[in-house]
Amino acid sequence: MLADYLKRGVVAGAIAGIAYGAYVALVANPLVGYMETRAEGGDHAHAGEHAHEAGEHAHAAGEGAHAVSEATTAAVSIGSGVLWGILLGGAFALAFYFLEPALPGRGRVKAYVLAAAGFLTVSVAPWLVLPPTTPGAELAFDPTLRSAIYAGMMAVGAVVAAASVYGYGRLSPENRPLGVGVAAVPIVALVAVATVAAPTIVETGALSAELVTAFRGLTVLSQAALWALVAACFGWLQTRAGAQPAAERHDDLLMSP
Amino acid sequence: MTTTDTVHDRIGTARDDLTTGQLLAVFAFVAAATFALLFLQEPLAHDAMHNFRHAAGVICH
Repeated sequence: MLADYLKRGVVAGAIAGIAYGAYVALVANPLVGYMETRAEGGDHAHAGEHAHEAGEHAHAAGEGAHAVSEATTAAVSIGSGVLWGILLGGAFALAFYFLEPALPGRGRVKAYVLAAAGFLTVSVAPWLVLPPTTPGAELAFDPTLRSAIYAGMMAVGAVVAAASVYGYGRLSPENRPLGVGVAAVPIVALVAVATVAAPTIVETGALSAELVTAFRGLTVLSQAALWALVAACFGWLQTRAGAQPAAERHDDLLMSP
Repeated sequence: MTTTDTVHDRIGTARDDLTTGQLLAVFAFVAAATFALLFLQEPLAHDAMHNFRHAAGVICH
């Protein structure tokens, strides 16, 4: 059972990962390269003689030039995109196996609910404090503290997603619209609190505000699409395999040896 | 649809279905994957993922 779910999750993740790798190759690589050139061009204080070599962050914590070539960065970034999809797909399937009975909806809706919860946990909640960083941006705090903030916000996101699903599960049997409303409360509260309370960590630097907004929008949408694709492929593979809930199959085995 | 299937049942089913060896293999694999992720903080590999980290919104420099 668990192994079947995991297998389907990895396959779904691979499909979504290949699509995401194509996005990295066709959109992200050229875009990040362009933005780095722009950021450095407008950043006179740091534009040294080596600044244009590999789109690097001369100002970042005393980091020197990039250790690898642009071509290597492009290729490894594409591969990372594929692996990212596989990682999310595998983690999604494991979570789905254990949480399937607790998720609202039926059939494929459950997969989309879990994908939305995963997106909220892995990306949206951390981004409320640490927005997607544009090339050439200055970040406050050191990487260790930022990693801790990121992990902490992932935990917060997971709790919020769980509270949302729990609230919906409690109230929707009697009153569906009320259940939906209650499910929205933790998410709206999270966004409101984070918007008001979160300190400004990212200084976007020399890039225009429109370009920064577009880049962040693209990041958010591409990650959301990755999750949606994982859920869609996983749901399709589940249906194709004729998967039935574990307890049912378990009972079948007990009844008819 | 079954009404008896709960999260608790799923944990029980997983416990029944998987042998100790399989569980050890899974834990070892997860540990290895974690090790690989930490290893990727090593500057060369970390740097090579640069564009991807920007694209995915997970960054540290």
